[in-house]
Amino acid sequence: MIRSITKYKQAFILGLQSNIVYRWTFLARGAFSLLHLVAAFILWGAIFSVKSSVGGFNLEQTITYFVTLIILQFFIGAFNEDYQISEEIRNGLINQFLLKPINYYLYRFSVFIAARLVSGSLVLIPLLLISPWIKNYLVVPHELWRIAYALPAMALAAIIQFTIAYCFGMLTFWFLDIQGFVILSFAVETALGGQTFPLDLMPKAIYNVAQYLPFYYQMYFPAAIITGRIGTSAIPQGFLVQAVWAILLLVIAQLLWIRGLKRHTAVGG
Amino acid sequence: MNYFKIWLAGARYSMVRTLMFRGDFITWSLVEFLWMGVNLLLVSVIYQHTPSIAGWNQYEMVMLVGTSMLIQRLVMGFFWTNLFELGRNVRSGAFDFFLAQPGHPLFMASTRKLDPDGLLNSFVALGVVIFAAHKLNLHPSLIDMISYGFIIIAALAIHYSILVLTMALSFWLTSTSGIEGTYFALTEFSRLPKGAFHGIARLVFVWVLPLVVVSNTPADILLHGLKLSWALGLFALAVVWVCVAIYVFNRGLKRYSSASS
Repeated sequence: MIRSITKYKQAFILGLQSNIVYRWTFLARGAFSLLHLVAAFILWGAIFSVKSSVGGFNLEQTITYFVTLIILQFFIGAFNEDYQISEEIRNGLINQFLLKPINYYLYRFSVFIAARLVSGSLVLIPLLLISPWIKNYLVVPHELWRIAYALPAMALAAIIQFTIAYCFGMLTFWFLDIQGFVILSFAVETALGGQTFPLDLMPKAIYNVAQYLPFYYQMYFPAAIITGRIGTSAIPQGFLVQAVWAILLLVIAQLLWIRGLKRHTAVGG
Repeated sequence: MNYFKIWLAGARYSMVRTLMFRGDFITWSLVEFLWMGVNLLLVSVIYQHTPSIAGWNQYEMVMLVGTSMLIQRLVMGFFWTNLFELGRNVRSGAFDFFLAQPGHPLFMASTRKLDPDGLLNSFVALGVVIFAAHKLNLHPSLIDMISYGFIIIAALAIHYSILVLTMALSFWLTSTSGIEGTYFALTEFSRLPKGAFHGIARLVFVWVLPLVVVSNTPADILLHGLKLSWALGLFALAVVWVCVAIYVFNRGLKRYSSASS
């Protein structure tokens, strides 16, 4: 067990080192996200100039939601893990994992955690730089229990995010190019994951359906806990559905790996 | 005429390529279609909670978003793949290929491929504009419609120039990977009404980077009729942006040293 943990700890350290190399890329990406925040400021600022509340929340609470999303995206979001896995399959780099006592999913997940630790820490820099301008717009509920619930929700969300990316990567066993699938899914995730608007603003019927889809739990669920958009009564059911999706996706990932390897041909020597 | 023949040859090649990879064409058409759906969903959800944004009602906003999508689909269809590859080709040295071709390198590099999925979806975007016009009970005159078309071409030229300027950075920087994200982040502003911008945001996103003006002006023509001064101003702006893009590209070209061993 300890030897097993040491193995993935090494992968984690390797992930940290290789991602620190890309610190400028992550910083640039963080800066681009601020453009998204500026657009949200302009749009919601115009909406709130004639209304004091939208969906029961004021401008400050809405802006806090979008800032939280950006932080979460850099701490738990899957960036290009799908393409990395796809490249490793296409180039035959996964062959080395087939010969070693290493679980490929756990190896990639260890690297993913390291990468998000680096990108998450780096996005805080541009946010700190603009904090004098946005601090008056940030209103986080003071209930401590929200943090206690948000942390496991973030952990499960990270598993869902990574496992979906992993499954897309696995599709390389069947398809030469997965980019179309990834961007197709990204469009759905953007809409139903709450990245363009808080999901509770959707019509009630659609919102109720969205609560049973995995996209809701990729980012919106932890963000809604942190920013106070959902109350205590909705949290237990949320955790249950989130855990079911995490397990279901892990099973799908494992099935794709087993079936994919049957199609895989390792060439070299 | 010679340039037109070269462009036509590239277009023919792109069509043949699309027919060869029909699955890709369907997937990418669906991708672009879904992204437009996401933008319209945002409008639809927001207007459940407010009657107007900066003085624009729901269908006026649909008109603006449709116009912005139309410009972006045309950029995607005519130029995106070419300019995206430009950055990579400069880095890898594959740009040599364009220098040996019978035309200005910027023209050759910008027009080699067409993306029929983007062009197909530009009809969908146009459908969104027509739908909004119908809902608003608009009856634009022939002059307004022709002006709308010309302004879209000017907008396309400005978007193209911004994209060229972004990708031309690869002549100076060793790695521009991910820089294309800047363009997409900026286009987000083009779907917002001009009246929503205030202070420094108005200066930067409306005047310095005219992405907001290029989507608002054509939508405004259909909504409120042609304002000749705005239309001519936008044309002048397009000429300036294209000239700047060509100048910067030519300067970058002088720095290009290939990458062969």
